[in-house]
Amino acid sequence: MDRNYHVFSAGRLERQDDTLRLVTEDGEKKYIPVENAEAVFLHGQIDYNTRLLSFLNKHGVAVHVFGWKDYYAGSLMPKRGQTSGQTVVEQVRAYDHPDRRLKLAKAIVEGSIHNMRTNVTYYAGRGHDFDEVIEDIDAAGERLESVTDVNEAMGTEATARKAYYSTFDAILPEGFRLDRREYNPPPNELNSLISFGNSLVYANCVSAIRATALDPTISYLHEPGERRYSLSLDLADLFKPVLADRVLFRLVNRNQIGLEDFETELGSCLLTERGRKTYGKAFEETLERTVEHPRLNRKVSYQYLMRIEAYKLKKHLLTGEPYEPFKRWW
Amino acid sequence: MTSSTTVGGSDVDPVSLLLASAREESVPEEFRVTGVMMQYYFVCERELWFLSRDVEIDRDTVSVVRGTNVDDTAYSEKRRSMSIDGMIALDLLDDGRVVEVKPSSKLTEPARMQLSYYLWYLKHVAGVEKEGVLAHPRERKREPVELTEEREKKVEEAIRGIYEVVTSETPPPAEEKPYCSSCAYHDFCWSC
Repeated sequence: MDRNYHVFSAGRLERQDDTLRLVTEDGEKKYIPVENAEAVFLHGQIDYNTRLLSFLNKHGVAVHVFGWKDYYAGSLMPKRGQTSGQTVVEQVRAYDHPDRRLKLAKAIVEGSIHNMRTNVTYYAGRGHDFDEVIEDIDAAGERLESVTDVNEAMGTEATARKAYYSTFDAILPEGFRLDRREYNPPPNELNSLISFGNSLVYANCVSAIRATALDPTISYLHEPGERRYSLSLDLADLFKPVLADRVLFRLVNRNQIGLEDFETELGSCLLTERGRKTYGKAFEETLERTVEHPRLNRKVSYQYLMRIEAYKLKKHLLTGEPYEPFKRWW
Repeated sequence: MTSSTTVGGSDVDPVSLLLASAREESVPEEFRVTGVMMQYYFVCERELWFLSRDVEIDRDTVSVVRGTNVDDTAYSEKRRSMSIDGMIALDLLDDGRVVEVKPSSKLTEPARMQLSYYLWYLKHVAGVEKEGVLAHPRERKREPVELTEEREKKVEEAIRGIYEVVTSETPPPAEEKPYCSSCAYHDFCWSC
C-alpha cells in the first residue's frame, strides 16, 4: 500500500527533476519518494507552484492541506483516478430512497458503535470498571435497531459516543481531561488530540474514496453538503476508534505526548509542531500495521481497510449486495 | 438456458438480435457483443456484468498492464488490426488468418471462444469464412482454431448466455475460481 508523507515544517514543496523536494525555511532539503506516495499532508505553511501540481497529478498523489489551527482545509486531488457516471447515479439513487439511505446510515452507526465498544472492552480487560458504560453503549446499539429515520440514527450514535468518551478520563493519566467534547476550537489538550486524530482519519478516507469512482459529497449518515466531503465523514466514523483513539491512548499512556506538547492561546489548545510530529509518526505506523483478512485470505494494512470499505459501499450501490460495515474483528 | 427471450412483448432470439444489430437493421433493442465480452463470459460472468455496467476498478493492476503490453508488441510486423462495425476488433496475419494474441495459455478456452466468435461473426455478418490462430508469444505456442459446426453452436449458446447476464438487474454472485486472486476485481468481490 502506498504511503502518506507529512510535512510539519514551513517551507517550499517543489518538483526537482523527477522527484519531490521539500526546502524548509532554514534551507534544509528533504526528498519525498513520489513513486510510492498515496498522499502528502501539509501541516505547515507551504509554498508550491503549478509545476508541482502537474507533477503530483501525473503520479496520482493527493495533497491534503491542514490550515489555521490544523483544521482540515481541503484536498488537491489528482485528475487521474476513477470517474463513473453510473456509480454516481447509483449513489444518488440510494441516497434518495429513504429505506436504502436509512439502512446504510444504520449500518455505519452499527459499525461505529461496535468499534467504540471494542475499545472500551479492551480497557475493561485492563483493570477498568466500565460495566455501566458498556451497558449504555449496548442500549444505544439496541435502540438503533428500531430507529426509523437518519436523525434518530445520528442520535443513537451520539449517545453511544458520549458514553464512550466518558471512559477517556479513566483510561488516560492525570492532566488529560475531556470535560466535554468540543472542537472549533478545541478548548483543552484531550479535545485537541481527538480533533487532530479525527482529521487524519478523515483525510485518509478522502484518499480511499478517491480510489473508487464514488462521489465524496454524497453521503448517507451525514447530510450531503454538511461539510465538503460528507461521505468521508460517514466512513471516518467507522475508523476513528480503531485508528485515532488507539493512537491517542498509546501515546499519552506511554508518556510520548505530554501536556508540554500543547500550546494554549485565546481559549484554544493545540498541539505543538513536535506534538503533531509525534502523533503523525505513530499514526502512520498504525496505518501500516497489518491484520489477516478473513475473506481476502491475506494480510491487509489498516490503511487498506479504508479502501476496502469504499469498495464495499460501491459494490452495494452497484449490485444491491448487502453492505456490512467494518467491525474490528481482531 | 432459454433459447429465446422476450423483448418488448415478443420473443426474440438474442442471436438474431445481435445479427440484426450488426447489420444495422431496425431492432427492438440494440444488442452488441464484443470479443472481450465473449471471453469474459467464459472466464467469469460476474466480471462480464461489471464490464457491461462500466464498473471499473484499479486499472493499474499488474495483470491488466501486462496483457496490454503483450498485445501491443507481439507480431507487430506481420499483423494489422481491423475494427468491424465497432463491434469486433480483430487482428489479421499477413496470410489472411485471424490471430488472437494472449499473454499466457492459462485461460485457453475463453480465448478460443473469443476467436471463434470473430470467425462466426465474419461468417454470418460479413459473409467471409476465415481460419484463426491463437498465439501465446511468450510461450512460443500457436494453435489453429477452426469454426466447426459444434463451435458455432457453442458461440450461439454463449451469445444467449451473454444476453441474460448483461440484461440482468444484478450481477451473478461471486464464485471462487482459481484465478480470482489475479483479477482486478478480486478485492471488490471478496472484501464483503
